[in-house]
Amino acid sequence: MRPVASEADSGDAAIAFRGVRKAFRGHLGIGRVVAVDGLDLVVRPGEVFGLLGPNGAGKTTTIKMLTGLVQPDAGKIRLFGKPPSDPAARAAIGFLPENPYFYTYLTAAEFLDFYARLRGLGATARREMVPRMLQRVGLAEKATTPLGKFSKGMVQRLGLAQAIQHDPELVILDEPMSGLDPIGRRDVRDLILELRRAGKTVFFSSHILQDAELICDRVAILDRGRVITSGRLDDLVSSQVSWYEVAIRGALPERLPATVVSRDGGETLLRVDEVESLEALMAAVRASGGQVVSLWPCRETLEDLFLRKLQHPVHDKVRTR
Amino acid sequence: MIDGLAARVPPPWTAIRAIALNTFREAIRDRILYLLLVFALVLIGSSRVISLMTVGDENKIIKDIGLSAISIFGVLTAVFVGVSLVFKEIERRTIYTLLANPVRRWQFVTGKFFGLLAVLALNVTLMSVALFALLGFRGASPWGLLPAVLMIGIELTIITAVALLFSSVTNPILAAVATAATYVMGHLAWSLQLLKARVDSVAGSAFCDLVYWVVPGFDRLDIKTEAVHGITLPSGFLPLAIAYGLGYAAVVLFVACVLFERRDFS
Amino acid sequence: MTLRRLLASLLLLGLVLSTTVTARALDKLDRLRLAEEELLYLPNGRHIKLMSLGHQALFADLFYIWAIQYYSNYERKDRYRYVEHVFGDVIGELDPYYVDPIWLGALILSVEANDLEAGLRLLDRGLTRNPTQWIFPYLAGWELYHRREFERAAVYFGRAASIPGAPPVTRRMRAGMFSKAGLLEDALRQWQEVIDDSASDETSRRVAGLQLRELALKRDLATLRDAVERFRNENARLPRSLEELHRRAYIQQVPLDPNQNPYRLDPRTGEVRSTAGRMLGGE
Repeated sequence: MRPVASEADSGDAAIAFRGVRKAFRGHLGIGRVVAVDGLDLVVRPGEVFGLLGPNGAGKTTTIKMLTGLVQPDAGKIRLFGKPPSDPAARAAIGFLPENPYFYTYLTAAEFLDFYARLRGLGATARREMVPRMLQRVGLAEKATTPLGKFSKGMVQRLGLAQAIQHDPELVILDEPMSGLDPIGRRDVRDLILELRRAGKTVFFSSHILQDAELICDRVAILDRGRVITSGRLDDLVSSQVSWYEVAIRGALPERLPATVVSRDGGETLLRVDEVESLEALMAAVRASGGQVVSLWPCRETLEDLFLRKLQHPVHDKVRTR
Repeated sequence: MIDGLAARVPPPWTAIRAIALNTFREAIRDRILYLLLVFALVLIGSSRVISLMTVGDENKIIKDIGLSAISIFGVLTAVFVGVSLVFKEIERRTIYTLLANPVRRWQFVTGKFFGLLAVLALNVTLMSVALFALLGFRGASPWGLLPAVLMIGIELTIITAVALLFSSVTNPILAAVATAATYVMGHLAWSLQLLKARVDSVAGSAFCDLVYWVVPGFDRLDIKTEAVHGITLPSGFLPLAIAYGLGYAAVVLFVACVLFERRDFS
Repeated sequence: MTLRRLLASLLLLGLVLSTTVTARALDKLDRLRLAEEELLYLPNGRHIKLMSLGHQALFADLFYIWAIQYYSNYERKDRYRYVEHVFGDVIGELDPYYVDPIWLGALILSVEANDLEAGLRLLDRGLTRNPTQWIFPYLAGWELYHRREFERAAVYFGRAASIPGAPPVTRRMRAGMFSKAGLLEDALRQWQEVIDDSASDETSRRVAGLQLRELALKRDLATLRDAVERFRNENARLPRSLEELHRRAYIQQVPLDPNQNPYRLDPRTGEVRSTAGRMLGGE
């Protein structure tokens, strides 16, 4: 497979995966399960990168290798040029795992203070930062509440606070929207966009494609441990209208500048690719005495791309502009 | 690529201290500790009642019960809290965020160790104060028991390290069983020498020797009887015993750190 | 309270009652019970030590308390079969430095079980392990004294007296035992030592003085009477005076009594008397 961004020098990359492989022992120690199989990926500084794929594709394993929790069997991983095993590399990142719990008996303030210590922040810096962070994620009133009493949404917000409190250059989030209500998801999206505005790099994984579509600069779709598609979002899915779907009732004109999608009793659904054909179709329908019931402009969403690629796994790549 | 990253890495002692403090806080607020402490204090108090049933020296019985209670409840605390120490972090995924920080894995293990040790020190101190107070009320001088309490502390340090070691490699139940087995073996180690005398084969003899030296020799550190009877310890005992105990714990801790270093958290 | 809750409470109450009743009925049944004596044989303390996992002193305490309750029960048959084993081999091995069980066990053996030798064995063992405990040979001495084995008692009191911290009465008992055993020379020597020892206390000195006088009196009287007897056997008559005994070399010297008064020989009966004897109340 050709490398993803051949013009991107991995020395400048925020994240770089080169030929990374990881396999785990199978059930009861029998056999091997390949989680990641020859992964190549580059994330440039300052961009929001979405790692997408179905469950079991290897997203979490990839992120764990990125944060040093799992060692790859083969290949190289670099964070700003350093391996994840180097503590200096981890000093530049903030990480929020999927579905986290936290220490039951600590208070929110103690929790943030603890992590700040681990990041080398001094007492003065911590004293100033902790209340500010809690305020930032809307948990200011819960500063002295034990974490055992937090709801899932509150835990997620605190987790985000922990990930960004030390102003890291790279923020890594594993399924940050999972289990959140729409308001929560929007807050996370806003936070990510805010980070990008501040010049930070954000790398997150998700299986909710609609969210990714709204905020990512670049994406990679992972399936069974391999990248099957990757590139700039704009290149992969155009934001322009791609085709129209027209429902008509009544007799069909003979020569249709459209393809039939489905028939349902008296209604026929047609697909028209060009705007120009649309005009012709409307005229033809009127002429044959039929009725145009409805007209939808459509475009291929990321989800459509995703499903298409999964059904026909072709390891290709869209050329960047 | 980014300037000054290395400067953001906290010095080892800062990381260890932060993790130790965190562990201490989390453990102290767990109610099971209060239960154990209450049991121990009740036992020490009731030793007064038990001693009424004896003929002769009542204080001797109080001292024996007190020291044994401190030892047993200390071990129970070390096992209960220690075996779930690392496991809970993994299960609750707190370890994921923790290790994604610029701390090294050995600092994590060592921090956990010192945190738990602090909890045990607190427990032992509280129980000792209760025992000494009881003895003081009865007009008996408790200070002779101090070396025994110190040795119990050393024994607990070893058990903590062992519990931590097993906690980093397996689930709490197995870790508890393994730690309990080590505790029992450690107290029976002296009998291995007796066994060796009866074993004929060279392999059997070598096996006895191996187990004897590998297993923690708690009987070397047990001076409860001497302390209660006021028997003078041989000169040089205390420094040697402390060195042995701490040295053994350090070895176990080292192994725990090594095993933890390469572990995958999937 | 709703009907359901009432019924549930009644059900619970009924179950508790039935359990209690059946339990009591079971207790009343006449069942086979093992004789407690058969449960008594305990393994040697060294083996129990294995199980104690470092808490052998505590186990010793518990066995001791249990033993006290057990041996306080006078209705038991065959109570004394295992006393020496329990106190010596079990408790004694678990905590060799535990003093109370040793003397209590020895007393039970000697006084109640009337087995003096076993009691002495226990005390000897205790002393071997605890050389500073003068109480063991001291008790042994008293038990032997009660049984009028004065010579052995003297040996034990001597052992006790040689241990620092033994009370002064120990030495007095030792000397007294020699006296009771009829070993007057040893007794005299002992009492003289007490007087000569600068560390002796007032009471001991006073008693020693009195004893020396009494013993000297006894010794002299015995010597003189023996000489009179020999004279009569050899000369077919009684001597006329002590001086004659001395002249004829039946005695080496004519002693004075403890009050520095001469002894009186009655030439008609051959009796030897002393005024001091009457004062001391003995002959």
